[in-house]
Amino acid sequence: MIRTLISILITLLIIIGATVAELWYVNKVFDEFSARLQVLMDKSFAKTATADDGDAVREFWENKKNTLYVWLPHTILHEIDFQLSEAIGNLYVKDYDSAISKIEVVLCLSEDIPQSYAFGLENIF
Amino acid sequence: MGLIFVRTTIIFITLFIVMRLMGKRQIGEMQPYELVITLIISELACIPMSDNSLPLLYGVIAILTVYLLHQIVCLIDLKWKGAKTILSGTPSIVLNKKGIDDTQLKKNNLDVSDLIASLRIEGYFALDGIEYALYESEGTFSALPKQDYEKLQTSLPIVIVTDGKFDKKNLKITGKDAGYFWTALQGQGCDELKKVLVATVDGDGKVYFQQKGDSYKIFHLDWKERLW
Repeated sequence: MIRTLISILITLLIIIGATVAELWYVNKVFDEFSARLQVLMDKSFAKTATADDGDAVREFWENKKNTLYVWLPHTILHEIDFQLSEAIGNLYVKDYDSAISKIEVVLCLSEDIPQSYAFGLENIF
Repeated sequence: MGLIFVRTTIIFITLFIVMRLMGKRQIGEMQPYELVITLIISELACIPMSDNSLPLLYGVIAILTVYLLHQIVCLIDLKWKGAKTILSGTPSIVLNKKGIDDTQLKKNNLDVSDLIASLRIEGYFALDGIEYALYESEGTFSALPKQDYEKLQTSLPIVIVTDGKFDKKNLKITGKDAGYFWTALQGQGCDELKKVLVATVDGDGKVYFQQKGDSYKIFHLDWKERLW
């Protein structure tokens, strides 16, 4: 009986701990990522964004991605990789219009992904 | 992770309710919640094994959730007696001193031939030699034989009528036709074959005969020798 109660408690703590950790980390990373993307977007609108700016955002993403693999399906993260690479590629050739549209896609993804994994009725069903 | 926990719990509860509604036959010797766990865990273990794009934590948390639910159900089952009826069901007495209880059989989605076959598996062939037979909550049968069971079971009883119909294949084994047995049953007060729940005959000519809603009767046919 005591052993059962202890095992229930420990399992519950693991599950709750993992849930809280996931929600906190995923939201934190994507909040920071969205902020950096917004800066890049503003610079692209002003036609002052450079390839180095794009590379800095990509470097941030690459550093955080490995830990995100533990929490999120890899296919979703690869989607961000592709779209971000296209956006930065457009910055290399100073095609700001195309870069803006791609950055917008990545911004949308970085807002949608945490919402898709948040605790809510729409995600349960 | 919280989503996996909630989704796994919902699937667990759904499967559990479905298994309980389906009845005892489908679950063999396991309690309903044990079967649900068996079904779910194998799937949950396979998904992260085969799909590298899914974080392993998804499978781990889901399996831990199933384990947690199992422990909670076991605890409730142990501590709250009222829950046992809801979680596991109750045994049904399908054969008593008066004979076969057709109502209990129907309640458990069984018929007479299921009962007779299951009693044979337990080693009991003569229906009149059984005091009580129970259909347990995990889908198995158990029987309490009468004290003189060995004397009552002298030959193999064969089912000749079940649920108002003659069993043609078994009639061939007896070497007699339906008319012969129908005359014998009419002699015992049976006016309609549809009312016969079960009639068996053994090699010595001993007939176990029960009409629906009535107690069973035993009578002997005039056979000069044992036919099988």
